[in-house]
Amino acid sequence: MYSDLDPMIHSPLRLTIISMLMASEKVEFTHIMEETKAAAGNISIQIKNLEDAGYIKVEKTFKNNYPKTLLSITNKGVKAFEIYVKNLKKYIYPK
Amino acid sequence: MDEQTFTPEESLKIINKAILNFKVNYRESSHVFLLFGWLLALASFSNFIALKVLHAKEAYELMGLYSFSIWGIFAVIGFIALFFIVRREKKYKKVYSHIDGYVNKLWWVTLVAFFVAIFICIKLEIAPPTIMMLIAGIATATTGFLIKFRPLIIGGMAFFIFSIVTIFVPNEYSALIVCVAVIFGYIIPGYILKSAKE
Repeated sequence: MYSDLDPMIHSPLRLTIISMLMASEKVEFTHIMEETKAAAGNISIQIKNLEDAGYIKVEKTFKNNYPKTLLSITNKGVKAFEIYVKNLKKYIYPK
Repeated sequence: MDEQTFTPEESLKIINKAILNFKVNYRESSHVFLLFGWLLALASFSNFIALKVLHAKEAYELMGLYSFSIWGIFAVIGFIALFFIVRREKKYKKVYSHIDGYVNKLWWVTLVAFFVAIFICIKLEIAPPTIMMLIAGIATATTGFLIKFRPLIIGGMAFFIFSIVTIFVPNEYSALIVCVAVIFGYIIPGYILKSAKE
């Protein structure tokens, strides 16, 4: 339907994750859960998709013996987001 | 929201919401400013008292070693406390902003500049407060501009003014001027930041 819009970004949850990462250097997985109110399993799947596409980087560490997952956007992800927004404008503000 | 019927307008709303919701709370930084503010104020004030109590000649003979040890003790206390503050912050922190990264790097570079300045002052046999306050002023004002917090910008400017003042007053009073500068530069902005709304 919207062929110019990158399908990897053009999904409500993936777009929310990418937008949050655009605004910050690193974001913890639990913060994304709190903000999106989505299920952990669903978020994990979308994160995996974005990671496989090379749009985000996932760092797994430990905090007080509990796993801590930090996400950050890659240069490829920033570029893809910029193109997505550029194309989005064509639909919202058609000439 | 269904992925198949997801419109560009909804897309724009999501982007706006994610960016508008992004707020960093800098209240935690107040602990670092208050810690170093109080430590530096106590260190400089005790230096001033020691100079006054011991008086001119003996004081200047003893001062080199005394200053070195008193600043050393306060620096060690400061860095141990800082280690625990940073560890505690990391425990609760979920979002790392770009500004956090810039501010951290700025203060690490400032720390290096402080050590270089101490070395230069010892080598050239000049009193360190003037140059130290100049460096502190740059880092404090820049932090204020980065986090958009006016009291820190004013605090940084206060360091510049007090740095100039040290040139015109007798050496024994420069420690007292550092103490006052730290109150304006770190302690007052620290308390204002602490009491700021989330």
